[in-house]
Amino acid sequence: MNKILLIAKREIWERLTTRSYISLMIIGPLVVLGLLYIFLSSTGAKKQSWEVLIMDETELFENKLNPKKDPLFSIDFINAYIDYDEFANDKKFQKYDLAVWVNERVLKNKNVIISYRSKPSELVQRRLAHHVERRLEEILVKEFSSMSLKEFRAIKQPLQFSLKDTYDPRDKRSETSGWVGFVFGSIIIFFILSFGMTMLRGVAKEKSNRIVEVLLSSVSPSQLLSGKILGIGFAAFIQFVVWGVLISLGLWILRIVFFPDLLDPAMVANQLGEQANEVNSFAQQSPFVELIYKQIQYSNMLVFFSLFFIAGYLFYSAFFAMIGSSVGSESDGQQFVIPIVMILLLAIVAGYYEIYYPDSLLSEWLGYIPFTAPTVMMVELSYGFSNGGAWKLYLSLFILMISAIVFLILASRIYRNGILQFGHRLKLPLLLRWIKK
Amino acid sequence: MLTIEEISKSYRRQKILHDINFSVKEGEILGLLGPNGAGKTSLMRIINQIIDQDRGHILFKGKVMRSADLAEIGYLPEERGLYKTMSVHRQLLYLARLRGMSKKDAKQQINFWLEKFSIEDWGKKRIEELSKGMAQKIQFIATVLHDPSLLILDEPFSGFDPVNIELIRDEIKRFKKEGRTILISTHNMNSVEAICDRAVLINQGEMLLEGSITNLRDQHKEGLYEICFEGNMISFANALWVGYEIIEKIDKGENQFCVRLKMRKENSINDLLNAVMGQVKILSVHEVLPGMDEVFVQQVQPKKEVEDE
Repeated sequence: MNKILLIAKREIWERLTTRSYISLMIIGPLVVLGLLYIFLSSTGAKKQSWEVLIMDETELFENKLNPKKDPLFSIDFINAYIDYDEFANDKKFQKYDLAVWVNERVLKNKNVIISYRSKPSELVQRRLAHHVERRLEEILVKEFSSMSLKEFRAIKQPLQFSLKDTYDPRDKRSETSGWVGFVFGSIIIFFILSFGMTMLRGVAKEKSNRIVEVLLSSVSPSQLLSGKILGIGFAAFIQFVVWGVLISLGLWILRIVFFPDLLDPAMVANQLGEQANEVNSFAQQSPFVELIYKQIQYSNMLVFFSLFFIAGYLFYSAFFAMIGSSVGSESDGQQFVIPIVMILLLAIVAGYYEIYYPDSLLSEWLGYIPFTAPTVMMVELSYGFSNGGAWKLYLSLFILMISAIVFLILASRIYRNGILQFGHRLKLPLLLRWIKK
Repeated sequence: MLTIEEISKSYRRQKILHDINFSVKEGEILGLLGPNGAGKTSLMRIINQIIDQDRGHILFKGKVMRSADLAEIGYLPEERGLYKTMSVHRQLLYLARLRGMSKKDAKQQINFWLEKFSIEDWGKKRIEELSKGMAQKIQFIATVLHDPSLLILDEPFSGFDPVNIELIRDEIKRFKKEGRTILISTHNMNSVEAICDRAVLINQGEMLLEGSITNLRDQHKEGLYEICFEGNMISFANALWVGYEIIEKIDKGENQFCVRLKMRKENSINDLLNAVMGQVKILSVHEVLPGMDEVFVQQVQPKKEVEDE
């Protein structure tokens, strides 16, 4: 074990002192933040003013929303409940871009439905949701509590907003949450590809510069392979953590510098006097954090992201190690990398497919196939599983882990037999022979 | 110290080693000789547990060798290399730690060896910044850094420049003086004669010979003598008559000659001296023993010839 750790430490050290690793550590989060900025500032239909109809059958809102007029919205109230079809098709409602359904149970179940004709940007969604939530807070405090509004805000539960397409209200899944899963899955694939290639190059380099025989006189091939996988995996993890920290920090800065209008003017006014509370509100108001914390089961997501990340990395690193150790020359390796890169791209396409066809049979199968499981299951997880459906996630993870173990065993056989072979042409029968030995 | 017992190994249905048996005694230098493809490297890899044998045992200090014993072995493989982007110091530390040394001891030893080779300034240099000869020195230090009691050197003189060959030869001799055991595989027969106590010759996976260098040369002598004299060559040849066969004559100038000849019938060196003593002034006379390269060729060649037929 001590030797495995020594090998792992060397691998980590080598990665940490490599210029490309450091560059990726800085450029990666910047690229992600740039894409996020584009996403946040351009998603959804652009309009100067949104016509909103609030359907408040029980007149809970008393025909008012916010004391200060928000130029972004022009708001009308209707004291009736109109069903989706009527709102979608009736001529008199055509001028409204957004509808907010406030039913009589909202004070208990905290559910508010917003439907749209053309999808509003995150900014518009959050602003409208914010106005509705603040108004409901006032009502709740007035009706049921002797607390001040400030005290109430500190303890209240957040409202659940469901965003629906007016023309397709039964599509209960939010694509946005699917995209979050897709981004998580794609990050896994990106890291697997990046660090899998590092593994391949590392193994092939040790082989080509002939240090491997010196090493093998001190450690066994399986120790050497385990140390490499552990070290490179840990370097990938460090890279990921730094990405996480930098992206979070970047989002926070983005929010303050580029999207200050996401804040309610009243909140800004209160901010100076109510530092502690407002820090929380701040976090809750960030679109990205809202997206993950409110629409996605974040704790689950992070746990399963880590598990799929580790299992996926182990699974694919077995293939990269196999190729690296068995090639006769470096150019030989290139042609064997192409199929793996194709499979990794296929995994991303599978995640994309899962967003749009989550209930298809193919999606289900792709979730169990180890090659595509990390992306497909991340999307599935971000959509959430119906009651009793979580076994699919566990089964997929189990299959992936078992496959990783099996392929690591095969990889170590190929590694042991191939690492000291030079100058041959790599062919499949040769690999099979090495596996059998 | 090290005993090889009935080691056999096949690869793709081809025998690489067949029933190899020999021992390396404590404090001796044993040369493992054989042409390319004889199986020397495979045997060294088996001893270092890099590959497994199909049959047989390796005994180290009288017991079946375990992986823990590798810490007592210093192995310089024929195919050798270093991490090019690592510094000399870090690289040596890493390899020493893999051999089981503590960090403190490893650092001490690194300083000792860098000082010994007068290369203290190289510690922070990356291997890619060093010349080939410099890297070779580092490679050798990496092999002996953990103070092994058994050194296994596979073609230690190949790829090294003459200065480093001399340096390694001196170090090998010093190791022997310190009572350590050394197993060397080499094509360099001059080195074998110069530093080895005994030799084992293998060819096509089979063991052909084992013995001390002197005995091996003695066993392969062909009754050849070299006599150097001053005088008339014709008088010398006439004096020999039919009892001797001249193989080679070398004119050294100024009426001096060296002649290599074989005895015929029962003639001895005394008979030779008696025959020529009155005719020429004898300068020197000695029996010519075959060099290890000749022993090597003699043993390997017949087999090849039989195969060719």
